[in-house]
Amino acid sequence: MTAVTPFPADGRPLLEVRQLSQQYFLRRQKLFAPRPILKVLQDIDFAVRPGEAVGLVGESGSGKTTLTRMLTGVEKPHEGHVVFDGVDVWSGGEAHRRLFRRSVQVVLQNPRSSLDPRMRVGTSLLEPLRSLKIEGDHAARVLEVLDQVGLQKSALERFPHEFSGGQLQRIAIARALMPNPRVLIADEPVSALDVSIQAQVLNLLKDLVRDLGLGLVFIAHDLSVVAYTTSKVYVMSSGKIVEVGKPLDLFRNPSAEATQNLVGAVLSVESGLAGNALA
Amino acid sequence: MTDTASPAVAAASPRRRVEINASLVVGLVLTVGFLAVALVSFFWLPSNPNIPNIKARMLPPFLPDHWLGTDGLGRDIVAQLMVGARTSILVGAGGASIALLIGTVGGLIAAAYGKLADETISRGADIMLSIPGMVTALVLAATMGSGAFTTILALTAFFTPSFIRVIRSAAMAVLQEDFITSAKLYGRGRLFILARHVIPNIAGVMIVQFTLYFAAGILTEAGLSYLGVGVTRPSISWGMMLNEAQQTVGISSPLAIWPGLAIVFVVLGLNLLGDGLRDVLDPKLKRRSA
Amino acid sequence: MTGSAPAIEVKDLSVGNGVVTAVRGVSFTIPQGGRMGLVGESGSGKSMTALALMGLLPMGWSTHGSVLHDGVDLVKQSDRAFSSRRGRTISMVFQDPLSSLNPVRRVGEQISWVIRRHTGADKKAAEQQTIELMTQMKLPRPEQLVRAYPHEISGGQRQRIMIAMALACYPQLIIADEPTTALDVTVQKQVLRLLNGAVNERGSALLMITHDLPIIAAMCDTVAVMYAGRIVEMGPVQEVFRNPRHHYTRGLLDSQPTMDNIALDGSARLVSIPGMVPPLHNLPTGCAFNPRCPAATDKCRTVMPELAGEGLQAACWHPVDSASEVAAQ
Repeated sequence: MTAVTPFPADGRPLLEVRQLSQQYFLRRQKLFAPRPILKVLQDIDFAVRPGEAVGLVGESGSGKTTLTRMLTGVEKPHEGHVVFDGVDVWSGGEAHRRLFRRSVQVVLQNPRSSLDPRMRVGTSLLEPLRSLKIEGDHAARVLEVLDQVGLQKSALERFPHEFSGGQLQRIAIARALMPNPRVLIADEPVSALDVSIQAQVLNLLKDLVRDLGLGLVFIAHDLSVVAYTTSKVYVMSSGKIVEVGKPLDLFRNPSAEATQNLVGAVLSVESGLAGNALA
Repeated sequence: MTDTASPAVAAASPRRRVEINASLVVGLVLTVGFLAVALVSFFWLPSNPNIPNIKARMLPPFLPDHWLGTDGLGRDIVAQLMVGARTSILVGAGGASIALLIGTVGGLIAAAYGKLADETISRGADIMLSIPGMVTALVLAATMGSGAFTTILALTAFFTPSFIRVIRSAAMAVLQEDFITSAKLYGRGRLFILARHVIPNIAGVMIVQFTLYFAAGILTEAGLSYLGVGVTRPSISWGMMLNEAQQTVGISSPLAIWPGLAIVFVVLGLNLLGDGLRDVLDPKLKRRSA
Repeated sequence: MTGSAPAIEVKDLSVGNGVVTAVRGVSFTIPQGGRMGLVGESGSGKSMTALALMGLLPMGWSTHGSVLHDGVDLVKQSDRAFSSRRGRTISMVFQDPLSSLNPVRRVGEQISWVIRRHTGADKKAAEQQTIELMTQMKLPRPEQLVRAYPHEISGGQRQRIMIAMALACYPQLIIADEPTTALDVTVQKQVLRLLNGAVNERGSALLMITHDLPIIAAMCDTVAVMYAGRIVEMGPVQEVFRNPRHHYTRGLLDSQPTMDNIALDGSARLVSIPGMVPPLHNLPTGCAFNPRCPAATDKCRTVMPELAGEGLQAACWHPVDSASEVAAQ
């Protein structure tokens, strides 16, 4: 196992966005009229530190997806900064962008769709190293990562359709770990999985944060899943961050309306049995 | 990893059940037989199919020297059918291959290179589709003279827009998958994504479409040759045989049956093969589980 | 409605396509106005059970056993007889309302079409009823909304339209297959509340199919837990969820991430069921859950347990309460 990424002593953020705004131009309503502007993100401040798991929750349309695209460097912000390791990603030069690319990795929602059905798992796992032109003993790295996510070596020769959803999500996480990232962004990583499998994947993510000192950004719509996995939650609504706090505090005393809605939406077996779930 | 609740998970047992696909088997037998006949014709023919033999005119079928008899000029039917198979393959496969090649390039560009490229290529394909294929073929034959090459050109013009459409929509479906997003996140370029991810995933569609248009090409070629704007002797085509048989209808009707049957079996074989391959190659069908 | 015959009585139902059997001998009864939940993970056969009850199985799948409903055996019904029944005595709410509504028809038309087909009401009366239904579903400005196309309204509104369609003719039984899975969490509760109220008011029976235990707890009186095509535990929700006998049910309940019962420090771990759901063509012998079960013995690996017990029935050789005794042996 390669050395665990050291924690910066000062605990400064690994990946952050500062005063970030993003807007899209919509279709013209009238000929020659200026194109209407849709503000999807407004003045977002967000940060994740090494070994810290941060949640991002909100209804669909709240801007979660756009913020994710910013954090992964897919989209350039209209205003504000995306900062990795203290340097702006978009003005920090090509070398820093490459470092950013390999250090921030993504796990997507639907594991069936996130692996090429015509590629053997082994090939898919090597893909990040090849495309990011990372040197080193690739074969050894593959075995190391397989061990980290709890998969057997025999998986490498197989195709994605031979696996169940939970196993595929492990493979997707393994692929994200290949370039030895420092931040993992997980976009609804368990919402496509069965309940009994969800717990396995959530536990795995928690272990990775603890064992590898990864920063984790966990994006979800379900507050209870986020609360279990993270130590700090950002609540988004209409393109703004409306509340930040510890999950339990948010759950007990939600102040923003969006948070109250999310907390109110959580159904539990206990409240159902008590007969007041839909009250 | 010390996850006691989830021990190392073994991969699911591969499920490669051998399924007997009737249309695939029948299609394969017919198509391989057709290809074999064409191949044999290069090395062996019962007699020269282009030299008339006045003494042996209009012989009935099932004779030892002429299994299916002879035509109005005494030429052996089996020999003509065998050489005709070559023409069918040359023209059908030629037209379908070139159309597949252009259609794949065009369809991939339309799917992956932005709205302008898509609009230009898709609308161009629509315009080409709106011109009837027969008209294109007749115009080409009138300006360039008839022959195998002209027919291939006509088929290409006729098939390419359809290929563009099919490839474009298949490629777009693949491009929406998350593994494409991942590849982009790793900084892979469009060409790499098309070559490594998109083409392998639409190869099944391409193969199936090829067999179907191969069959359509054989049919169209027969139609053109029947009208007299396809190939000319010394080349032989089944459509041409149909045309010539027309002159002897009433005297010896079976003459039209043999090339007709040949066309029916080959087109049927290729279509069954295409259907069978579609079932076998479609990953969505394979993935389906209850 | 106080008819003596149950809303639906399923006896030894099996569904297969010749290669695999997705549902293997399922029996349950829902009384008039009763509410049953059918829980299971993907591949458990819960959705195939629903499709079989609705006569909507995909090509190549066939049903064995009997399904008594409204005095007839649905398994023996012809397609035509079935289609006159769907929407009238038995109706279904699907998971994805966008693909279950006709995209080129206005939503009002689609509701009133159901009413006219089954009640013979004239156009005007059907339109009036449509607006009443939409009002009842708390849809905003129903007079204008009837003219909207499915893509013009939100997911929650579409699902409420689907529920309105399913309820339009006061069916005896409503089957809801993951009705809120495709919706935003904040909308989920609202839709469930509306479904709950509308079902109550009509006295219809409800079969709620979902993987989500809290929804069952909130909506149903009885619950059947499916695993690998069989019901492994069945009984009143209060008993099954408070004191499950089957280890699978226990595992499902334990793996729920809830805010109430976990220590929210970094070390909190969710209990998970090890392994995975077995593929249908390669089921283990004996109890299908045995490879994942903490209490499995040789008996579990060879002999398939049947549902047993009074009130709460479980198909388990070593039910949860006696698990400790087994371990002690």
